[in-house]
Amino acid sequence: MKKIQFNKNSIVRRYIFLMGVFIGAFLLLAGILLYSFYELNEEYTSKNSQLEDKERLVQRMEEAFIKAFMDVRGYFAYNTESLKKKALEQDPVIMDYMNQLSAMEESYKDQAFLEQVEDFRKYYFIETLPVTLEEYENGNIEAVRATANGGATKKIEAIMADIDEYNDAINDQIDANFIELKKIQSYVQIAFVVFVLVFLIVLLRITRLMFSEIAKPLAGFAAAANEIAYGRDAVIEVDKDRNDELGVLSVAFNRMIEGIQENEQNLLAQNEELVAQQDELHAQQLELQEALEFVKNNEQKLSSRNELINKLANSLDKQEVLESAVLNMCPIIGAEKGIIAFIDEPSYASYGISPGGVKQFRGNLLFSGVIDRLQVERKPFAMKRQCAEDEKGYHSEYLFSYDLYIPIFLSGKKLIAIMAFTRYDSPFDGRLMEEYEALAKNVGIAMDKINLYQKSEEARRLNQDILDTIQEGVQLVSGDGEILLVNKKFCELFGCPEKLHDMDGCSWDEWTALLEGTIEEAGDFIDFLKSEVASQEKYPANERQFTYRNKAGKVFKVYCEGLFDGNTKLGTIFVHRNITKEFEVDRIKSEFVSTVSHELRTPLASILGFTELILTRELKPERQKKYLSTIHNEAGRLTALINDFLDIQRMESGKQGYEKIQVEMLPVINKVIELQKVQSDRHELTLKFLGGSDVVIGDAGKLEQALTNLVHNAIKYSPEGGKVSVIVFEKDGMVRMEIQDEGLGIPPEAIDKLFEKFYRVDNSDRRSIGGTGLGLAIVKEIIHDHGGEISVKSQFGKGSTFTISLPVSDSQTDFG
Amino acid sequence: MKRILLAEDEEILRMLIIDTLEEEDYQVIEAGDGQEALDLLMVEKYDLIVLDYMMPAYSGLEVIVKIRQEGINKDVPIMMLSAKSQLSEQEKAIAAGADYFMAKPFSPLELLGKVRDILNEKNTIQ
Repeated sequence: MKKIQFNKNSIVRRYIFLMGVFIGAFLLLAGILLYSFYELNEEYTSKNSQLEDKERLVQRMEEAFIKAFMDVRGYFAYNTESLKKKALEQDPVIMDYMNQLSAMEESYKDQAFLEQVEDFRKYYFIETLPVTLEEYENGNIEAVRATANGGATKKIEAIMADIDEYNDAINDQIDANFIELKKIQSYVQIAFVVFVLVFLIVLLRITRLMFSEIAKPLAGFAAAANEIAYGRDAVIEVDKDRNDELGVLSVAFNRMIEGIQENEQNLLAQNEELVAQQDELHAQQLELQEALEFVKNNEQKLSSRNELINKLANSLDKQEVLESAVLNMCPIIGAEKGIIAFIDEPSYASYGISPGGVKQFRGNLLFSGVIDRLQVERKPFAMKRQCAEDEKGYHSEYLFSYDLYIPIFLSGKKLIAIMAFTRYDSPFDGRLMEEYEALAKNVGIAMDKINLYQKSEEARRLNQDILDTIQEGVQLVSGDGEILLVNKKFCELFGCPEKLHDMDGCSWDEWTALLEGTIEEAGDFIDFLKSEVASQEKYPANERQFTYRNKAGKVFKVYCEGLFDGNTKLGTIFVHRNITKEFEVDRIKSEFVSTVSHELRTPLASILGFTELILTRELKPERQKKYLSTIHNEAGRLTALINDFLDIQRMESGKQGYEKIQVEMLPVINKVIELQKVQSDRHELTLKFLGGSDVVIGDAGKLEQALTNLVHNAIKYSPEGGKVSVIVFEKDGMVRMEIQDEGLGIPPEAIDKLFEKFYRVDNSDRRSIGGTGLGLAIVKEIIHDHGGEISVKSQFGKGSTFTISLPVSDSQTDFG
Repeated sequence: MKRILLAEDEEILRMLIIDTLEEEDYQVIEAGDGQEALDLLMVEKYDLIVLDYMMPAYSGLEVIVKIRQEGINKDVPIMMLSAKSQLSEQEKAIAAGADYFMAKPFSPLELLGKVRDILNEKNTIQ
């Protein structure tokens, strides 16, 4: 009962149940049929196989008999012993076949056949054949013939006929089985067809049931839904007792229809209400459109007024203000054309007026009395006049135009410009004159502002020009670190000349980042700037300055001062001064002091020390002499040093006197080489003359001093020894003297500074090599004072070549 | 006999110092530059080192640093002789590890007295 209820409540389950039963029955019956068919075939095959085996045995048996008969006959005909043997061998074979056949015996026919064969076998192989063979072998051929004719032959023929008959019977049995099989197969096929037909009928019944139970109500649902979609009434007709899905669906569908119909009623009512409201809104919209049009017109005027006020307030460009004034006043006033023109200068702007018209207006202005009237009344006024021919266009009747003149006063006193506007066939409303006057006052204020701006801009430019001429970088920084002002030099110092104007207003982070990128060890510098910008001290106790070096190696000192208005700090002024030269001078001075100190103290130490020993100790005469000699040499060294200082001082002050005569350089150089040879036995000094003149005009002593310095340097800076060559030749009217060595060479970075006073190459290899740094400076001064040049080429680590060039002496030269 | 290492590139000054100290029975071993002084320090021990400030190869300052930091004869007293007599130079030498500083020109007898004091003081301490 429960199952039925379950199926009735669900179409899907009912359908599944029916289809399950149908498919199950179909599979079961089809299986039974197929199994029966299979069994039938198996039985037939088994029967046939047995019959065929029997047939095969009988045939073999027949063949064995025939073979025996033939071999016996062959033996009788040819007396071949092997044939006799073969014939006798067939007996056991035949017995074997008979035994096999006996095992398959099924019917009395089989039994009778076996008995017949057994009888014949016994007759032939046991009773007749042995006797006949004996007779034959004894030569009794007649007895053999008698046996054959006496019935043996007939018996053979009879048994052969029996065998054939039995075989035929087996074949008939096989055929009969086959026919039986075919018959049964036909019955099975008919049964299968009937089975299929029965199931098709059942399927049809099921389908029909489904159609009536499901498809038909669904079609009804679809039709009803369609009707409802088109807004027509529809009813779903489904059995009220149905509890399945369609029953539930029909109830829901009917409820939905009721809901929709109810909603439709409500919507219709609302729609009617909305239509009424729409009519009301339409009426209001028309009113609003009229109001909007009015507002738009006012908005246009306000927009123009705003545009004008905005331009007057923000622009500092005079022409821009004039153009804005005339362009925006025209819509405010409702004029077709207008102009604003200065009285004392040619500036103007116009709208809707040709250049000729502008010229005419400006020409007539002075003589029309308009200016006088405006100056006296100080208020705008309007005039009515008949339109000129060129203003009438295609109109032939009388037309009138209305001109409005508005004065513009500077600072409320001086009339500087006039605005004139023209309107056709519509007089100006006197009530709006005050508004036009107010706008004109704004234009006047804007002109005041522009004048002030121009003056302040000129002053600013002047100040900027003054600042830009200062050789120090100047910057004014506000309290929050923003740059208020910089000069050109400042930008040059920090590599930003193209950003001069961009620097104004630069934030702290921006400009300090720029400075940080250009100077060495910027941290302390930025800290200094920060503390000074933040400082509120008006009179600081300590000097406020900082020295720094930029990445190009230049040294700067930055001073700062607070800029105060009363006690309020407005900003901080920083002045960056390039003190590279002073710094270098200080460094050179310091180095000079250090060098002089070292170079003087060493010989002094010897002199004082040995003197003290002589004075305080009892010394042997030879040791005393040695000490005195050393003191003498060291005193000479001191003298040479002092002479160097004096020489350079004299040369620099221009007080160095030269006794110039014609000098042959070769003997001078020879003398220098011979003197220098004494100093070192590790150096090979040579002089080579390549031809030309060696005569120059000069002070032989000073030239000797210069060459001595160079040769001495060549030896001094070749501590490992080597060749020092002096090569002399004439080229391009100059006597050239090259002093070459194979010594330490000069680092590339030192070449440019080599001839500077007190400059010494700082290198550990040279620490042992004393010197004041004056030798080459003295050489350069001497050579320059002789109209010559000195240059140097050097390969670091491989030696140097100093070249002196002096003009060749001409005998006619006046060298007094 | 006390052994003193003298590193001075000026031959004449070496002669002056050696003559002064040897009169007092000190054995003075001389070096012409900083490298030579370090080479000598590597093989033998000395009671006192007298160093010139400005020398080739290694300056007196560099020699002191190597002695003090690299542990070559690291406890030996060092006297610096220098023509650079500014206070800053003296401070540098003392900071590097020099024990005494004498400016050039100097009195050889004063040098002798100082050496005597240093070595006697050292003896007393030991």
